[in-house]
Amino acid sequence: MGEDALRLEEVAPAAFAARVAAAVEAGGRFGGLDARPDGAGGHRVRALVIAGAAPLLVATAARQGSVPGLRAMLGAADWDQREAHDRCGVRFAGDEPHRPLVAHPADPVAWTTPVSGEDVHQVAVGPIHAGVIESGHFRFHVVGERILHVDVRLFYKHRGLERAAVGCRPDEGLALVRRACAACAVANQVAYAQACEAALGLTPEPALRRQRTLMLELERLYNHLNDIGQACAGIGLAAGAMEFADLKDRMQRVNRAVGGHRFLFGTVAVGAGVAPADRAARAAARAEVLAVRDQALRAWREILFNPGARQRMRGTGRLGADAVARMGLVGPAARASGPAHDARTVSPRLWYPGFSPALAPEATGDVAARIEMRAAEIPPATEIVADLLADDAAPAPARAATAPGGVGVGWVESPRGETTCVVDLRSGRIAGLRLRTGSFANWPGVAAAAVGEILPDFPLINKSFELCYACVDR
Amino acid sequence: MSWAAAGAMQVLALAAAPILPGLVQSLKARLQGRRGPGPLQPFRELARLWQRSVVAPEGAGVAYRMAPAVIASSLIVAVLMVPFAGEGLGWPAGTDALVLISLLALGRVAAAASAWDTGNGFALMGAARDLTFAVAGEALLVLVLLVAALPAGSTDLGAMWSAAAGVGAWDEPARWCGAFGMALVVVLETGRQPIDNPDTHLELTMVHEGPLLEHAGRDLALLQWAAAARHLLVIALAVGLYLPHPAAFWPAVGAMVAGAVVVVIGLALLETWQVKMRVLAVPRLLAAGSVVTLAGLVTWLAGAS
Repeated sequence: MGEDALRLEEVAPAAFAARVAAAVEAGGRFGGLDARPDGAGGHRVRALVIAGAAPLLVATAARQGSVPGLRAMLGAADWDQREAHDRCGVRFAGDEPHRPLVAHPADPVAWTTPVSGEDVHQVAVGPIHAGVIESGHFRFHVVGERILHVDVRLFYKHRGLERAAVGCRPDEGLALVRRACAACAVANQVAYAQACEAALGLTPEPALRRQRTLMLELERLYNHLNDIGQACAGIGLAAGAMEFADLKDRMQRVNRAVGGHRFLFGTVAVGAGVAPADRAARAAARAEVLAVRDQALRAWREILFNPGARQRMRGTGRLGADAVARMGLVGPAARASGPAHDARTVSPRLWYPGFSPALAPEATGDVAARIEMRAAEIPPATEIVADLLADDAAPAPARAATAPGGVGVGWVESPRGETTCVVDLRSGRIAGLRLRTGSFANWPGVAAAAVGEILPDFPLINKSFELCYACVDR
Repeated sequence: MSWAAAGAMQVLALAAAPILPGLVQSLKARLQGRRGPGPLQPFRELARLWQRSVVAPEGAGVAYRMAPAVIASSLIVAVLMVPFAGEGLGWPAGTDALVLISLLALGRVAAAASAWDTGNGFALMGAARDLTFAVAGEALLVLVLLVAALPAGSTDLGAMWSAAAGVGAWDEPARWCGAFGMALVVVLETGRQPIDNPDTHLELTMVHEGPLLEHAGRDLALLQWAAAARHLLVIALAVGLYLPHPAAFWPAVGAMVAGAVVVVIGLALLETWQVKMRVLAVPRLLAAGSVVTLAGLVTWLAGAS
């Protein structure tokens, strides 16, 4: 199990930004940055870069509460830095002033981007929305209907799950991670379980890897079906919305039959698996999954042939491949703009033999491409699920492979993109936890995609990403 | 005697107007594979809202307070102007088609003024979009009414109805062009897809619902009833001027009811397979309708000379 061995590097503050940027430059992908008190009045700042399947943690000490900022070299670190600044006051030299992200000052001037000019005005939406949606506030700077800039303010229901996990045993921490977000429950839990197992020096056996992969792909299927339906609802295509709502519910019933829970809660454990459903239930689920796929592809073709739907989706909310790379976007939203990373290609702790990510039929980076990406990922996910449902073996507990290292990293391709998790263990208890979800990585992309579009198209652009609020409100 | 019967029907139709959007909604639900609410649901909602008190935003002035009454009464007068099966009360504003246009404009202005009064961003956005659409929409309505008025030689709605009766009226290509324009007017005024989405809860996309956001209780009930009455008004216009009907009174009543059912079914079908179009494309669609109607007008004038 040497290929995903964690490397830890302690560097001088002055070398920190350059080291992280160099690791990304060398083909690594940025997996998050966080800061926490070092117990001696200062702070330790740590960045995660994953090169292939090899994670690297670069750590440094923040002297006088400041380290050189990464933003100029690494746009993906912007939200991480602002979060770290809000949480514990660490400053990132060169990127100041940090606009508040998690903190919510009352004065809009304090947290919004100044936009001025003739006829520029602001339109504020939320945090309370009509409909069953989590809390999020969007401040649009517009001229007429045209959006010049959007400031996104989330973190309204911040629960402090990461802080609450400190001092817990790994299995207790799992319950907290599960609650971070229902729609991404499996992805978040698997990332966490992997991180804990890596810290404990455990390696999952193939049967356990297969079971986790099955749950992850089941989660992807119902989420992707939901996303397509939501996009249809966004343009008032009720027929599509209803069809995909039905398909999503059929998949959630499969979830219950296979995993015992519609949102697949309770299907992940640290260092162990759960007993698989009985053979008859799995055979029935397999047939249903294949039927759902066929129906979904038929329904998707009908949407493609709807001229109004094409007109609304094509060319709307376009993001170029360079912008995607600059912001470090992940998942189907990134792959819709061109070939981009899929964490499933480098998941030695999961079961993706010979996996290659689905390619966007037209990588135009607009709403149409992002939704089409979901449709394109349904058949391969179905194949994996159908294949793994044939598995009879009850997973054995993970076996000890290496000496416990105290810190572990896990990563998983969630339906919304790569989710990373870093866990520090000290004498069997969690000393630090950081969960960076695909939604966290992609929210800046929503704001960027809306620029230049018209206000009434924003809900559609937002739905083409379909990110979780809860995943960042952890 | 038939005018009294028609007048009674007009009054009855005003009271029963909410069944029109109710029918569209329930039919639409069936088409989508949902059970959906029954066609009487709008009445239940009106009853519920009517029992609630009005909550006005702080600092709202007279434009806000007057809007529901102005909008509702302008629609009452407008509906009474439109002949049902060629007859009607025509009270108190006569039966001139041009007055109808101003009554619709009055309602729009009242809604916009109320939005301006409260200063609610979404209400203002909705009202602004509505007024933008109205620039093209009113021109279209004028042309549509003109195409129906020319064969009658009068802008009197009763005369226009008589000129549209029988099958002979459909010999003129102008009538067909006008019917296309009328269809767009129906979709615009009822606020249905592809122009507006009545089912949306997304404030950013609202057109007709926007100005309603700050209203509550009885005021909201009045405004929702007015939206239903707008369905009634344009359906009565469309059926009377642009659907074939006999000239005799009672057969024409039957034709009117059948025509209303046809329009309701058409709206439900349209809203099921048409997505909402991009807001900025709506004026273009309305302008295209104006061009077609104008072409009809030209053919009529060329034929008349």
